[in-house]
Amino acid sequence: MKNVTHSFVFLAHWPFAGSFGLNTDILATNLINLTVVVGVLIFFGKGVLKDLLDNRKQRILSTIRNSEELRRGTLEQLEKARIRLQKVELEADEYRMNGYSEIEREKENLINATSISLEQLEKSKNETLFYEKQRAMNQVRQRVFQQAVQGALGTLNSCLNTELHFRTIRANIGILGAIEWKR
Amino acid sequence: MNITPCSIKTLKGLYDISGVEVGQHFYWQIGGFQIHAQVLITSWFVITILLGSVIIAVRNPQTIPTDGQNFFEYVLEFIRDLSKTQIGEEYGPWVPFIGTMFLFIFVSNWSGALLPWKIIELPHGELAAPTNDINTTVALALLTSAAYFYAGLSKKGLSYFEKYIKPTPILLPINILEDFTKPLSLSFRLFGNILADELVVVVLVSLVPLVVPIPVMFLGLFTSGIQALIFATLAAAYIGESMEGHH
Repeated sequence: MKNVTHSFVFLAHWPFAGSFGLNTDILATNLINLTVVVGVLIFFGKGVLKDLLDNRKQRILSTIRNSEELRRGTLEQLEKARIRLQKVELEADEYRMNGYSEIEREKENLINATSISLEQLEKSKNETLFYEKQRAMNQVRQRVFQQAVQGALGTLNSCLNTELHFRTIRANIGILGAIEWKR
Repeated sequence: MNITPCSIKTLKGLYDISGVEVGQHFYWQIGGFQIHAQVLITSWFVITILLGSVIIAVRNPQTIPTDGQNFFEYVLEFIRDLSKTQIGEEYGPWVPFIGTMFLFIFVSNWSGALLPWKIIELPHGELAAPTNDINTTVALALLTSAAYFYAGLSKKGLSYFEKYIKPTPILLPINILEDFTKPLSLSFRLFGNILADELVVVVLVSLVPLVVPIPVMFLGLFTSGIQALIFATLAAAYIGESMEGHH
């Protein structure tokens, strides 16, 4: 009885030093049942888990594939857009070039036309000038002639007398006679 | 020493017949504290399993996950879903906490139910699931309490305490009481379930060593998983509850 009490007191104190060991009693350690449970768990759990993980993997794969496809499509579109951009740029260049040459040509044409008209104007100006000059000269000549004729008329009027008259007539008759004679 | 010899005898006799040890612990003395060493040992084992498997699984991450990585990503997805449904929009920072709770409890429970811990004999007590010990579950529950207080306070500041008088100020005592009952119920639920599972198995094994305990062991596996899920879900729900209603 005392022993038991002692052991109980002993238990109540629970010493810290003790020994670790292996319990080799298969029934007490419940090994068989645990093996069965783990086996069943693995047997059934494996399939379920595998299905689950496979599904997940497939989902991920399909998602990745989808996004890859999307990416590829987008890249294609980008490429197309880039090609079109290039084409458009080329066209724009062409148009610009055409426009430049057109403008150049227009300019040249305009310059030519202007210069031609300018030349014509110059010519007409020159002609006008020439005619004006001619007219002025004619006028001057006329005026001078008129004055000379008036002067001559005045001179004639002032110094025309009978004797001179006769002499002139005679001279004229002589000239006329000579002409007649020659004939 | 007032124990009568008779009661000692019956106790001893019962003890010998059943061979079930309850409340026996293998103590370590660390810094003036008596520590349940068997819990620490199994906890370290569980932690090693978790960390080791995770490190092995994500050592070489692939874009298309291989087996181990796939499994752990699935687990992570599960935990994230759980946190998201319970906490709501701002579940992100709490995924690690919830995940740690869930995984630790789950692996602890299952290690207790699946591993033949009894092969290793301790000087006193026996190895079992860490959640078999009330200290572990209380620690986890108190962590949860701290987590939801932190969540509420960091989200709302001092106006977090307005929730105590929320419907009416009459409910103030009940609301305060809730802060105590939450960790209490969390810890006792987990502890009780796991201890009960293991006890039932041990008792059945001591009565009928073969075949009969197997269904109960499966039941224990199921309950263990459910308990881990419940603990994680409730922790997340508490965190979400303390963060909700912010304007």
